[in-house]
Amino acid sequence: MSGRLEIRDLRVAYDRAIAVSVDHLGVAPGTLATVIGANGAGKSTLINAIANWSRAAPRLSGAITVDGEDFSRVSACDRARRGVVLVPEGRGVFMGLTVEENLRAGVGAARGAGGRAYALAEIYDLFPRLYERRRNVGAALSGGERQMLAIARALRMAPRLLLLDEPSIGLAPRLVALLLATIRTLVDGGLTVLLVEQNVVAALEVTDVLYLLERGRLIAGGTVAAMRDDPRIIASYLGGGHG
Amino acid sequence: MNVAQQFANGIIIGHAYALVAVGWTLLLGAARLVNFGHGQMYMMGAFVAWWLMSATGLPYAAAVPLAVLVGALLGALMQRLFLRLTLSQDLVNLMIATLGFGQILQGAAGLAFGAKPERLTSPLQAITLGGARVSCSAQDVLLVGATIVVFLGLHWVLRRSRFGAAVRMVAEDPPLAALYGLRVAPVYLAIFAFEGAAVAFAATLVAPRTPILTSIGFEQVVMTFVVVVLGGIGSVGGSYVAGLLLGLYTAFFSALVSPAYTTASVFALLIVVMVVRPGKLAASGGFAR
Amino acid sequence: MSRFPAARLAGVAALALLGFLLPRLLGGSAHVYDTLTTIAIFSAMSYGLDIILSDLGEISLAHTAFFATGAYAAAILVVNYGESAWVGLAGAVIAALALALVLGLITLRTREFAFSLVTYAAAVVCMNIAANWDFLGGSDGIVGIPPLALTLGRFSFVAGRPAQFWPVAYLLLLFVLYVVARFRRSRLGQAALMVHMNPRLAAMCGLDANQVRLHVFLVSAPISALAGWLYAFQRAYVGTDLFDTYFLVLMLTGVILAGRRLLLGPLFGTALLLGQKNFASLGAYGDALVLGTVLVGVLCLCPRGLASLWRRRAIPGPEAPSLPGGPVSG
Repeated sequence: MSGRLEIRDLRVAYDRAIAVSVDHLGVAPGTLATVIGANGAGKSTLINAIANWSRAAPRLSGAITVDGEDFSRVSACDRARRGVVLVPEGRGVFMGLTVEENLRAGVGAARGAGGRAYALAEIYDLFPRLYERRRNVGAALSGGERQMLAIARALRMAPRLLLLDEPSIGLAPRLVALLLATIRTLVDGGLTVLLVEQNVVAALEVTDVLYLLERGRLIAGGTVAAMRDDPRIIASYLGGGHG
Repeated sequence: MNVAQQFANGIIIGHAYALVAVGWTLLLGAARLVNFGHGQMYMMGAFVAWWLMSATGLPYAAAVPLAVLVGALLGALMQRLFLRLTLSQDLVNLMIATLGFGQILQGAAGLAFGAKPERLTSPLQAITLGGARVSCSAQDVLLVGATIVVFLGLHWVLRRSRFGAAVRMVAEDPPLAALYGLRVAPVYLAIFAFEGAAVAFAATLVAPRTPILTSIGFEQVVMTFVVVVLGGIGSVGGSYVAGLLLGLYTAFFSALVSPAYTTASVFALLIVVMVVRPGKLAASGGFAR
Repeated sequence: MSRFPAARLAGVAALALLGFLLPRLLGGSAHVYDTLTTIAIFSAMSYGLDIILSDLGEISLAHTAFFATGAYAAAILVVNYGESAWVGLAGAVIAALALALVLGLITLRTREFAFSLVTYAAAVVCMNIAANWDFLGGSDGIVGIPPLALTLGRFSFVAGRPAQFWPVAYLLLLFVLYVVARFRRSRLGQAALMVHMNPRLAAMCGLDANQVRLHVFLVSAPISALAGWLYAFQRAYVGTDLFDTYFLVLMLTGVILAGRRLLLGPLFGTALLLGQKNFASLGAYGDALVLGTVLVGVLCLCPRGLASLWRRRAIPGPEAPSLPGGPVSG
């Protein structure tokens, strides 16, 4: 099993403002770790930094290793090729490519990425809906179908570590549960996943380890059993009618 | 007026417009780059072929592929120069830089080839086909055929090949392409090289119709604008149709009204289209359709 | 400096006087006068483009047409109708305003490359019309423009030789500098900048972007036309070569070389380029090559202009100021 992520002293800054400052974050192989936090806490910034990817131009510093390999100076493109695959928030698939083209696009680049590469047939078993829509372009898909496709194409790239940025955003509750259950199945099959979520209640059901991010800093972290009773989590996310 | 002959002329000129525009269509659709040096690259293609034939005695058939190769190299050089601006999508500065690049080409061509009008001669130009009512040269037939082949080929590559998918990815969202493990720079390099090669190819086929001057680039590029804009920015099929229609329009306009004001009337046409369909000038929506 | 308006004014006046005496300080030969006059004319032309490029953030490629319009209007009125240079001046401004109004309305809703494409095409069309319409002299142009004669009441001034031309060109340059400086501090100038930098905020402030663009266009065109007016007299001939891309690239390079939104930037850039052309010329093609190389070089190596090399502090650039926490989501 692979995909052990270690982060040390990660700093992400836009212009002069430091957006994220994380001293240590680790994800064990074959587990699902979830970072929760309020809007604007820096969750996307954090997970994008792990992929060395951004639509803005932040400055990054710190050390990132995956399975002991130093990834600190590896470009976003090469991280994807070496098995650290990010599914970004929002626009995560190509609208002008068909489902099948999206699923074939990254495969050649990711040979030797180190993780398990899912065959097309396996993807269609996992997401039967994508099989039905395989000739449609991304622009013709629903939000849920796009999210499935975004995750599916990442699985095609033999990920050692799958980074998911708010996959539940904009989806109906039933779809959220289905999607997270699918992710849990993948983790049980040996995949390592770091998930960033705002939907804490849904995430708690599937995750192994929980981190709490506030204003760019990790203020708590631990197994889900321990964190479930953490007063900060109850106060911020589970209490007050949110549950 | 011989309507059938004008119709044939229009189809030939239309294919010429389309072929000259095809490289830029791809460049605009995939890299959002307006190449104001396009006309000068056309001029270079024609003059390189002319120089190869007159200085080294190469036959036309050998000069064409060599000129295309030089065109591809020019395109690649342009990409190396503009890579940083392209990657940061600094469109304003890119546009000005292409004007400067055109100026460099024009100056260099003036130094190398002089100021006299020259003639790129193709042996096919002398062969006349057809009868008393409608005739054209073998060169015209070659031009039309080559244009159709280039457009069909480009369409096939974009829609069916792995590389075509990469081009469409870069066109739609370069940062996302990186998450698919795609290296963007080589794709840009190929697009620019195609632009250079395609316009040089077009020049070697079209230029034998008229004398060539090192200053033709300035005007040459306007028809290309109109083809690209009327076809829908970045749309390959649209460019072909727009080129054809524009060819027919100019053929009949110059026969019925005045050949001198053809460019002005095409500009008027462009403005009418802009007023009727302002969305046509928006950024690429229908790329590679 | 603004706390000492008198000192500032004295400084500007001293600088202006120094500028006026510059040709004499450089030896006072006819060639020096000619070069400096040309620099004054072409930098005035560049300032027309400068306020579109720097303040509105669009690339107009039609400014050679405004320049040529000024020159043609002056030539036609003076040569064909025997009018005075003053009438020529008025004609140049009115003709440029009319052309700018038409072009401004046509391009009102176009942005970025569409705007540039249409303005470029418009310049080509203007050249086409000039080359084919006999009223505009056709491909021969208009020859035999008399020496510049300006009469103010009983005072009259005739400029035939380069040295006599210099005061007029210099005054024109000072006037254009004044207009551009005033424009930048005017409500319209501020509005243009806001429409360029932050269109959403501009819309929220109730600014009509299209109207602002049209107005800026109308301010800018006569500036280039004024330069064209004087150039017609300096060269005593107007022709379709006024539309040459060389002038277009010269304007663009002049504006970009030093850095955008610097008052003396276009003057500095134009002076450098024309200094090379007049004192170290490599022939027409060689000069075109140099010009293109300078433009591409500046854009590829330091797109914010030479001034940014020693002025590392933030110059208002083309990117919008980022909102606090904007890119940080989640």
